[in-house]
Formats: sequence, C-alpha cells, structure tokens
Amino acid sequence: MTGAALTEKPRAFARTRVIPTTAPVTVIFSFVVVVIVLAWSLAPGLFAQQDPTKGDPADKFLPPSLAHLLGTDQLGRDQFARVVFGAQSSVTSALVAVVIGVVVGGLIGLLAGFLGSWTDVVLARFVDVLLAIPAFLLAVVIVSSLGFQTINAAIATGVSAVAVFARVMRAEVIKVRGSVFVESAYLQGGSSLHILFRHVLPNASRSLIPLAVLQFGLSILVIASLAFLGYGDPPPASDWGLLISSGKDYPRSPWLVVWPAIVTILTVLSINRISRWLRKSS
Amino acid sequence: MLRTYGPYALRRIGQAIVVVLLAYLFTFFVISILPGDPITSTLRNPENGFTEEDIARIVSYYGLDQPFIVQLVNSLGRFLVGDFGLSLRSNLPVSQLILDALGSTLQLAFAALLVAVVLAVGIAYGTQFLPARYGQGLLRSLPSLFLSVPNFVIGLLLIHLFAFGLGLFSMIDTETPWGTFFAAVALGIPVSAQLAEVLIANLDHESGQEYISVARSRGLRQSKLFLRHLVKPSSLPAVTVLALMVGELLGGALITESIFGRVGIGTLVEGAVASQDLPVLQAVVSLAALVFVTVNLLADLAYPLLDPRVQLGGEPRARALSPAADQEIRSDLQEEVSIV
Repeated sequence: MTGAALTEKPRAFARTRVIPTTAPVTVIFSFVVVVIVLAWSLAPGLFAQQDPTKGDPADKFLPPSLAHLLGTDQLGRDQFARVVFGAQSSVTSALVAVVIGVVVGGLIGLLAGFLGSWTDVVLARFVDVLLAIPAFLLAVVIVSSLGFQTINAAIATGVSAVAVFARVMRAEVIKVRGSVFVESAYLQGGSSLHILFRHVLPNASRSLIPLAVLQFGLSILVIASLAFLGYGDPPPASDWGLLISSGKDYPRSPWLVVWPAIVTILTVLSINRISRWLRKSS
Repeated sequence: MLRTYGPYALRRIGQAIVVVLLAYLFTFFVISILPGDPITSTLRNPENGFTEEDIARIVSYYGLDQPFIVQLVNSLGRFLVGDFGLSLRSNLPVSQLILDALGSTLQLAFAALLVAVVLAVGIAYGTQFLPARYGQGLLRSLPSLFLSVPNFVIGLLLIHLFAFGLGLFSMIDTETPWGTFFAAVALGIPVSAQLAEVLIANLDHESGQEYISVARSRGLRQSKLFLRHLVKPSSLPAVTVLALMVGELLGGALITESIFGRVGIGTLVEGAVASQDLPVLQAVVSLAALVFVTVNLLADLAYPLLDPRVQLGGEPRARALSPAADQEIRSDLQEEVSIV
C-alpha cells in the first residue's frame, strides 16, 4: 500500500459522511425554517416593509391583521417588523457565541488531546472550572462584567460553551491520534505539525459539527434569556427575549408575547432537529 | 476493587478541591477585568449613602489600595475561612444575605428536581409501554420540544394560565404551595428533558439486549422483567446525569425567581448585577461551583460502589457537555470511560 492511499482514505471517509444526501420530511421543514430565519437576519428590510422602531401611537395594541401580520405593540410599532429585525441580533449573536465556543474550545481540546502530559492536565483543570460554574450564571457574570450589550451577551454565551467543545474535541483527538493511519503517517516520517493539521484536525473536528449546530440553538435560548433579564441591548432593540420581556407587561395583548415565543421555539426546535439528523447520519 | 478505591477517592477529592479554588480565582479574575473601578464607583454613588469613614473602612477591608495580586491572595484567604466580605449595596455581610435567600431557592430547586424526575420517568417508561403507532412518537419528541422552549416562556405561560386564569396562586405572594409548585414546573421542565433523553436511550439500549429475550423466553412476567432488567440498569446513568443537572437548576433559578417574583439566590444575583455588588456575585458564583463540584464528587465516589463493572483509574465518568448537550454524545462518552 502506498502512503498516498493511506492518507487519502480517511479524508474521503470524512468528506462523504459529513453531508448526507437524503432527509426525512421534518428535517426538510427544519431547514426551511432555519433558512427563513437566516434570511431575516441577513436582510430584514426585504421581509418587513415597516419600520421596527417607529410606530403610529394611534395604531397601538392592534391585534394581528393583514396590515400588521403580528399586530402592533404599545407604541404602535409593527410586531412582525420587530420580530424580523430582532432576528438580526438574536441569530447573529448566537452565531458569534458558537464561533467563540468552537474556536476557543476546539483549540483547547486539540492542544490537550494532541500534546498530552502536563498540557492536558492543566487544560483539563481549566475546563473543569468552566464546567463547575453553572453556565447561565457564568454568562450573567461575564456580561455584567463586560457591560450590558447584545454583543457582550454573545461573548458571555460563547465563553460558557467553551468547555463543551473542549471536552468533545479532546476525546476525538485522542481517538484519532491512536488510529492506524496516524501511526503510519508517523512511521513515514511525517512531522507533528503535518499530522496535526493534515490528519488529526480534519478528522476530529468532524464530530464538532452536530454539536456546534446544537449549541447554536442553545445559544439562541441563552441570549434570549439574557435579553429577557435586560442584559442585552436596551430598547428600541428588538431581540426576541426583549420582545417577550416587554410584551409580558401587556396581558391584554397576548400576541406581543406569543409570536416572538413561537418564532424562538420553532427556530430552536428546527436547529435541534437538524443537529440530531446530522449526528445520526454521520 | 477496594484496594484501588482509596487512592481513587483521594485523587478525586484532591481534584475537586483544586477545581473549587480555581473557580474562585477564575471568578475573581472575570469580575476584576471590568472596565473602570466598580467598587469605587459604587461606593462614591451618593444613592448608597456611604460616609467617608465607611468608604475608608471598605477600601482597607478589601485592600483596594493594594496591587491586584495582593487583593487576590487576601480574598482567597478570606474565602477559605468562610468570610465572603460585605455587600457593597447594603453593607451587610454577604454570608447573611446568602443564608437569608438560600431557603427559598433550595425549596424551589428540590421541588424542581422532583418535578423533573417524575416527568422524565413518566416520559421514558411511557415510551416502553405505549404502542409504537400511537403516542410513542409524541412522547419521544417531548424532550426535544422541552429543550427548545425558553424557560421564561414556560414560566409566563404557567403564570398566565394558573395565576391570572384559574387564580390558583397570586403574583403578589408567590411563595405559597401552588406558587412554588408552578415555579418548580417551569424550572424542572428543561431539566426533565435531559433526564428523559438519558433514560430513553438507556431503556432502548437495555431492551435490545439478549438477556431480555432470554428472560422473556424463560417466561418472566412483563412487570418483573421491566423492574429487574430495565429499570435497574437504566437508572444508574440517570443518577449521574441528575448530579450534572444541579448546575442547571442553580442557573435556571435566576430566571424563574425573577419571573415568579420570588426572593432567593437568583434575585440576589439579579440585584447584585444591577448594582455591581461584586462581593455578592463572587460569593454566589463560588458557592454554586462548590455545590456543583461536591454533588458530582459524591456521585463519582458512589458510582464504583454501585456498579461493580466500573473500572477505576483513568478518567472519572463523563461530565456534563452543556446544559442541553445531547444525550447521545454523553452516553457515548459514558460507555467509553465507565463500562469495562
């Protein structure tokens, strides 16, 4: 067997298994939901014609109708426009959180698993510390330390997710490091760095994908919770958590709470479904 | 096994102590990277009504005129002897504030744990009994739905239905039995989802085992089969996960208490965040870490005694991946590390 054959195989393996080709109906529906929400967050102006920050006081507390699909709030602002524009910060900040978790956690796990010995011991204790502090409490402390803004809420959520990725990455790296193709790459004189970037990183990071998707949904919830408590951008921002928080003061207009809640739940449910499907099929 | 258990226990206890101390240092560091000097700005805030002597006393107490590293060592030293300092908002000892709030939160947390266990067991064992066509699919998708609903939405819904709708409890005084019950439901539902996922995965795994078919062919009654061969083996991993849920209960209490207007640790944190009362934050976070580490240490120490298959040495059993991290990854890890 040639060296090329040995190194090619695991990569082809990785490539074919990441993206399955068939999917159940619920997964397709989930993708549709996620694509719509992502489109909202990229170009909210295309989907909502009305201004999310300016309203006509004469139109306040209108129930859902054709003119205002999801009704209007206490200042006569169109609730649909507020939900769509809220997607921008809710979804983007969840993405920021996931990127922080994946990059920092992945790096910690990679170093711990690949270098082993004392590096592993030190990093393992650090991860233990992150795990020991309840994730939401940690996020609250970090955001109160950085200042009440949605971007800081995203950073806080990301930091509280680091431990998860670090643990999974470490376990995967150790698994890959012990495999036959890595051993043979060593025997052929491959340098540590070459093996790290060419073999270990691509194969180990494959298992982070379903977890990252799952964490994306979870981050939306955590950021919504932080916004609900008022630790995100202040009004007139319209993060989903903030919409629910301000809507709850008007029990006579249930659409102010119900619709942002349904959008949040549907989004997270769809993301979780996709994550589950990715994991099952990989 | 007993020969290896002693060193194993000692090593786990040592690790736990190190992690708690590091968690304290980590929190101290996070809180101190604040831009500006919140302690001084809080002290100088005329609303708080500190006199110059109070300020001088607090500054010297916390060593605010000392370098960062000295402050850190002093603070850690006080933590070790159980002194959490004075609240910057009320000038009361932090330990007293925490003790006052603890009762309500413990009540809520235990009630929520109970709700979570009952719900999870109901869902998980329900999936084994219901016919595959009807109901089972619904039950199986419940955990995933529970995990997708923000817990403040559950809380608001319960309040809307049962406080405003049916009038079972009043929002003016929520610390009544019904008020506590519904707050516990709101807090317990996300926790139950994770527990149910673990139980379902284990039950599915166990019911596919050969010894189940053997027992069935021997003519064992359904109920006996269920209790002896399904419930028992599937409950041990669930205990592990339950220990990991402690952190989530503590974190979730923050939102639940805020919505239900309860006065507990969660609202204490909320107030401390609003007024930048750092000693309170530092104490609550360190104590939360202490509780989490202790509960998980106990679970780790009990595990090898309960399950003789567990091999000592190497990694302890799998830890939490995240509040909602998926069970399957977790059970994979568990199989990897715990079963010989």
